[in-house]
Amino acid sequence: MIAITVNGTAYQLDDSRSGDRLIDFLHDDLNLTGTKFCCGIGVCRACTVQVSKPPNPAPSPVISCSTALGTLDGSEVSTIESVANGGVPDPVQQAFLDNFAFQCGYCTPGFVMAARIFLDGLRAQPIPEDEIDGAMMEAIGSHICRCTGYVRYFEALKPLALAANAGGAEL
Amino acid sequence: MTLRSPAGGAAVTRRMFLTSTGSAVALTVMGVPLPSPAATSGPADIGTDGSPVPGVASQRIDGLAKVTGQKVYARDFNARDMPGWPATQWYALYLAALTTDRAFEGIDLSSLPPEAQPTRVVLGNELSPAMRAPQLNLNRDLHIDDRIAEERAARLKARNSGGDVGSFNLPDELLFDLIVVPGNVPNFLGQAVALLLFDSLAGYRAARRAMAFNDPAYQRYGAGNQDGPPLGSAFSPQTTYVKYGDQFSYATADPDTYMAQVPQWQDRINDTLAADPTLIRQPFSAEMRAMDPMFMEPEAGLVWIDTGLDTMHLVLGTQSPDGDIANILSMYDSTDAPFPLKAVNLTSCYPGGGFGGRDSSPFSLMLALAGAYSGGNPVRLAHDRFDQFRVGLKRHGADLTGELAADPDMRLQSVQMTLTFDGGGRRNLSPYVASLGALCAGGSYTIPMANIYAEAVHTQNVSGGSQRGFGGPQAFFAFETALDDLAATQGWDPLELRAANLLTEGDTTVVGGPVEQSLSLAEMLEITRSQPLWAERETIRQDYAARGLTYGTGLALSLQAYGTSGDGMVASVLLNRDGSLTVQSDAVDMGNGSATTLGVVIGPILGANAAQVDMGCYTLFGMTGLTTSDPEGQRWDNPNWTAKSVGSSSACLTALHQVHTVQQAAQALFQGAILPAAALIWGGARLTPADVSWQEGALVRNAGGVPPLPLAQLAETIYARKLPVGTLGHAYFQDSWAEASFPTPAGFLSLQLDGLAFYPPDGSAPVPVTRQDTVGPDSASKRYSRYVWAPCVNVVELTVDTSSGTVQVENVLSVLNAGQIHVPQLVSGQSQGGVAMAISYTLLEDMPPGMEGPANGMWNLNRYHLARAQDVPLRTDYTPGARGQQLIALPPPQEEAPAGRGIAEAVMCSVPPAISNALRDATGKRFTSLPITPAKILEGLGQ
Repeated sequence: MIAITVNGTAYQLDDSRSGDRLIDFLHDDLNLTGTKFCCGIGVCRACTVQVSKPPNPAPSPVISCSTALGTLDGSEVSTIESVANGGVPDPVQQAFLDNFAFQCGYCTPGFVMAARIFLDGLRAQPIPEDEIDGAMMEAIGSHICRCTGYVRYFEALKPLALAANAGGAEL
Repeated sequence: MTLRSPAGGAAVTRRMFLTSTGSAVALTVMGVPLPSPAATSGPADIGTDGSPVPGVASQRIDGLAKVTGQKVYARDFNARDMPGWPATQWYALYLAALTTDRAFEGIDLSSLPPEAQPTRVVLGNELSPAMRAPQLNLNRDLHIDDRIAEERAARLKARNSGGDVGSFNLPDELLFDLIVVPGNVPNFLGQAVALLLFDSLAGYRAARRAMAFNDPAYQRYGAGNQDGPPLGSAFSPQTTYVKYGDQFSYATADPDTYMAQVPQWQDRINDTLAADPTLIRQPFSAEMRAMDPMFMEPEAGLVWIDTGLDTMHLVLGTQSPDGDIANILSMYDSTDAPFPLKAVNLTSCYPGGGFGGRDSSPFSLMLALAGAYSGGNPVRLAHDRFDQFRVGLKRHGADLTGELAADPDMRLQSVQMTLTFDGGGRRNLSPYVASLGALCAGGSYTIPMANIYAEAVHTQNVSGGSQRGFGGPQAFFAFETALDDLAATQGWDPLELRAANLLTEGDTTVVGGPVEQSLSLAEMLEITRSQPLWAERETIRQDYAARGLTYGTGLALSLQAYGTSGDGMVASVLLNRDGSLTVQSDAVDMGNGSATTLGVVIGPILGANAAQVDMGCYTLFGMTGLTTSDPEGQRWDNPNWTAKSVGSSSACLTALHQVHTVQQAAQALFQGAILPAAALIWGGARLTPADVSWQEGALVRNAGGVPPLPLAQLAETIYARKLPVGTLGHAYFQDSWAEASFPTPAGFLSLQLDGLAFYPPDGSAPVPVTRQDTVGPDSASKRYSRYVWAPCVNVVELTVDTSSGTVQVENVLSVLNAGQIHVPQLVSGQSQGGVAMAISYTLLEDMPPGMEGPANGMWNLNRYHLARAQDVPLRTDYTPGARGQQLIALPPPQEEAPAGRGIAEAVMCSVPPAISNALRDATGKRFTSLPITPAKILEGLGQ
């Protein structure tokens, strides 16, 4: 059996599902369609979700279109649906809203998930401030956005990164 | 989209009727459904996050739904999410043609494992003629449509007189089969050869896995029968713009004799050029590959034909719901259609990007076709990215050649250009794109003589269609690089050469139409001239050189028209019982922000922004009481006539066209209902707009002495006194707005609308009122092609690694005339997106034609490279040594009612020539083949 937790709910899956893609499980089994399918080969990162797998408690970004369920046994998966609290956007989401960071919005859940993991990392392990821009590029620079030209995503994230790096509150 | 009653109650639908084979088909636009109990992605109550300060957008009105991952896009939905649909969803898969050389003989699925066998297979010979090759109606631009009508009439005349009418050169009537009939040679690569239907997701997935990258194993081809139309022929109509000073042009010549006169004027141009040996002749050529719009959401949708009720239900995200539905209906427009169709219900979703690639996309037809063969079960058709590359509409590859001529005083005398667009398989909107490219061939300049020919040719490649820029990216690139070469060869300053030839009010375009709008190009160049990026470019070059970097600066202009030769729009503004406001528009928001903009532009008029904006309500037109039928030639004398109902949505239509329509509807509500209600509450004489103003959401009388009236209180009175609770307006723009006077509860009101209807308080359909004293554009101005423009000057600064051929764009300066800016963040975001897309297709996006390209089904983002953040300057200012993109928008015009300009592609179009010009500045070599890859650069540098 494959044991997997998605947004706090535990699932036991038959081993026959081990080759299925995580994104298909989210969409087809759980009707969680906030995680977006775009290229399907792990390039655009629109399908990024957050995964924690013991013994490492730190979450990492995972490309759900190219991740087989069989590799996730024992993992905790968080998707975009888990981020807002009672419909209230989290600080990353609010920053993206305030900065008009996206247009069509299809790439946005992937940016949100990657940005949250990035901020968690800064909080856990601050870096010199002059390295923030490079770290942001490392965290979200591989994500593809076709509408807004990236500028506003970076503008939105920068203040949050500075705050997190300075020991700001957790999301 | 969700449509609610004016009272804000339960969702209602809007309905119109389209006539098909003499019987009316009811069309309904549905709201995005509420979630089923099983759904864990929440419902998209999208378009409901209004901004509090009137006239100001604090965030996108559709933003919260998108950023929280709610069900927004067509791809998010399955039959289980749709109320009332059967849960037994089927899955459709089309197999794509692999050759245009040999006849398709059939498919062979024997090697598919049992679990991957389809439930049903449909080949082309099983389709009725109407299903296989529906009569598509691709209207986009009235002045081209007139030419098509003229050609049709001429053809009929020739046919009636026994003449040879030809066939393919008039491919308006050429309709390639949606599914190739076995025995025929496919008309283009990627054309469907079979429809496979699966009754289970597992079967569908198994088949996709088994067949991926292995198409030849499942298709059989024999010898070609060569009965297909020859590749390389031009789609009709082609465009010829010949202009000779004030004496001859497309716009001013007699339409009946224009083409007959063209050869003699072409001779005059050649004679004039030959007679002046002092003229400087600058030949040019440019080429570019096809480009994929690469919107992030691959096309997907649902169809369910309820055979009991003869009703088709669709879930779609399209830029052209009006045209898509009309074309779908044409599939059922025959006695041998599999079902009689009495109604179509459309759930119109926000598209996950568009860029024109969802405008008149064949996807809608293929989805509707699949629905006919699933035994009454819902069907899902969902492209993966390989499919999308394989069959999705492309921006046309193009070849452009020509010559500029200038006198020794830097004055341009003529432009000659031949534009050949690779239309690919289907005609789609290719002739329209080529035609606008021909207009753009004149650049931003006044040129006495023009000889321009544009065509889109039928090839085996993936079909070209509408895409961001619509002919402009190709034409501006060729013109602006040639202009730079002219400057370089003569030792002229590239900016001063442009400044000496700028188009201004009173000039005419290469079409011959007058420029009646202030372009402010001289002011924009003046701003550019003073900016450090341009003024200090030699100093900057030396700085880079000191660091061992090869640096160049390039300048280019674009003059992108917005709208078409005639545009109709419809919008409603509704005052709900609680005092909140709802806006509805026929437009679709592909991400460009029109929903947000339309929500806030009513704020200054009605004291509050819309709390809700519903997009894609194209059926609103059916409730205006207007018609486009004009059998007696009455035009505007018929109070129910308009020149165009509604059209496809493009981002450039928001700032002027859609905003105008919703603001005029808001004015009608304000003066026709709110002011009368205020007069009733306050007592006393009739009020005029000058008597009142809005303060903190309440109406106040400027003279004082009466209490302020919040919108909720006004709404209470309006509903109680049965005043109109909403207005529905239709506008038509063709160089000027159609204007009329309309009866309202406050007397006659003059509006720049040609249709107005009032919503009664009981929630029933709006009631049209009869317009009077209509003044509308005359038909002649349609031949101007375009009337309104969004000019942009771009300066690009870049460095070249001459050992690897890689280019890094360091800085971009964009000086833009956007007119009145409604939402600054959306304008700059659109600009930034345009810069990124331009860098991407100039330097990175490379897609060969034929079976080496995406038609082979093996193309995806691993080989089609898009600009990422590192490829784009991310700062928003110019700081020496840093990478930034600075946008300078001209100050708002000093006019009584300043208007916005549609800037969707305005910034993008002149970035690529500015990059090429900067490369020439840096290396001394000209690169006019897009994309300018490192290999091409190294080759150009002789390395």
